[in-house]
Amino acid sequence: MIYVNHVSMKFNLGIEKGFSIKQAFVNFFDPKIRKKKTEKKYFMALNDVNFHIEPGEVVGLIGSNGAGKSTLLKVVSGVLKPTKGNVQVNGAISPMIELGAGFDQDLTARENIYLNGAILGYSKKLLDDKFEDIVEFSELRDFLDVPVKNFSSGMVAKLAFSIATIVNPEILIVDEILSVGDIKFQEKSKNKMMELIKGGTTVLYVSHSIESIKELCTKVIWIEHGQIVKIGPTRKICDEYFEAQIGRGKK
Amino acid sequence: MKNIKNILANFKRYWYLMTQIILRDFKKKYKRSVLGVLWSLLYPIMMMAVMTVVFSHMFKFSTEGTNYLVYLMTGIILWNYFSEATTGAMTSVVDNFTLINKVYIPKYVFPICKCMFSGINFLLTLIPWLGIIILTKFGLGDYPASINIYYSFIPFIFLFFFLFTVGIGLIISCLSVFLRDIFYIFGIVLTIWNYYTPVFYSLTILPESLQQIFKLNPLYQYINTVRDIVLYGKCPSLLTMGVLAGMGIVSLGIGALIFKKNQDKFIYYI
Repeated sequence: MIYVNHVSMKFNLGIEKGFSIKQAFVNFFDPKIRKKKTEKKYFMALNDVNFHIEPGEVVGLIGSNGAGKSTLLKVVSGVLKPTKGNVQVNGAISPMIELGAGFDQDLTARENIYLNGAILGYSKKLLDDKFEDIVEFSELRDFLDVPVKNFSSGMVAKLAFSIATIVNPEILIVDEILSVGDIKFQEKSKNKMMELIKGGTTVLYVSHSIESIKELCTKVIWIEHGQIVKIGPTRKICDEYFEAQIGRGKK
Repeated sequence: MKNIKNILANFKRYWYLMTQIILRDFKKKYKRSVLGVLWSLLYPIMMMAVMTVVFSHMFKFSTEGTNYLVYLMTGIILWNYFSEATTGAMTSVVDNFTLINKVYIPKYVFPICKCMFSGINFLLTLIPWLGIIILTKFGLGDYPASINIYYSFIPFIFLFFFLFTVGIGLIISCLSVFLRDIFYIFGIVLTIWNYYTPVFYSLTILPESLQQIFKLNPLYQYINTVRDIVLYGKCPSLLTMGVLAGMGIVSLGIGALIFKKNQDKFIYYI
């Protein structure tokens, strides 16, 4: 279903600085900086990551902040092109990397349902058919004609979650979103996820909540510093990860 | 052949998304404005009125034997389309960074949508344009414009003009990702280009030698062909139509090539 073949992702840290007249001027008079500039700084966000996911598997990604989890999700969903290696995905991906990224603040909830749906690749017909379901699930019927900029972050997340999960995607990429909304909605969204998983959706799931990983995933990939530390059954890897994290904390 | 099929399939797949993006732009453009979409009709008329007063009364520009109002307005609507579409396309990729960074969408969607969005606006401005042309028959201005069978060429000219604009839009949106200075540079380039294009003056006021240089301007070619039809009732030659089509296709081809080569690098520069 998803094949990640020896993927490396190299970021050039110098790019952010870029080139400007001011910088060139300063460099010209300061030989120290001039020397520094020549050595380029790279950061390996992913280093030779290699794994594959079978259809129907629910795979959790764990690791510390900055380990490369989100970068990996972006590579799989096609947002980033890997520097080395390649990714092969068979099936339609529904990315839930950041809820509400496709929302336009000035448009109403109703208009955003269509816009965001189109961004996720839904057809007009599907959106027309499922419109009621989306509204129902999001519990935002009274606010349909209010611009999204007046929404609270919880409401935005609820709406976005409802749009993203309205179809049964073949592959679902989820980045830390089950903690959205109030307790009632959290429960509801978790059930929805369970429903999708039972329906045979392949899921790639990132979370810092070991609890929810244990609950949902069949397999876990643990990455640190852009490299895979271990791949294996959920319970075993989670325990080892937990051990390593706490152990490190004690030192 | 397979490549073209692929592109078309992709286009079909993202067509609904494109209509939604264009719709969004449209809603946002006229949000909280009382006259709303009426502005698309009023704006070119007002612009024409102002420019007519300035150029024909203050600077005494005129075009001998033709209707200056129609001459001017034809120039204005085509030039405005080009300038609005390319300026919109320029910032389109950068403006949609949050989306590009989160979801996979083919990035060419953004500049092309901007060109189409301005295109809808342009089509609306054709209504007052045709209105003015008809009014000249009833004595508006010094000379009547011509209404003839060759008008059927105009949609094709507009289509080629659209392709030309999309090409420039793709190039400029791509460049501006890597070099934000383009935002300023292109503004200046557009101003120069505006004066280089005979929108309010006629080429005949220039010395013979300069005229040749001005005729190299693709925009002049497009505008002039339309003017020939509506002012003089002249049928565009096959060569002229060929040149217009060629410029559109070459521009689009170069734009698409540059954009395609660089689009994977966008994400590091935004």
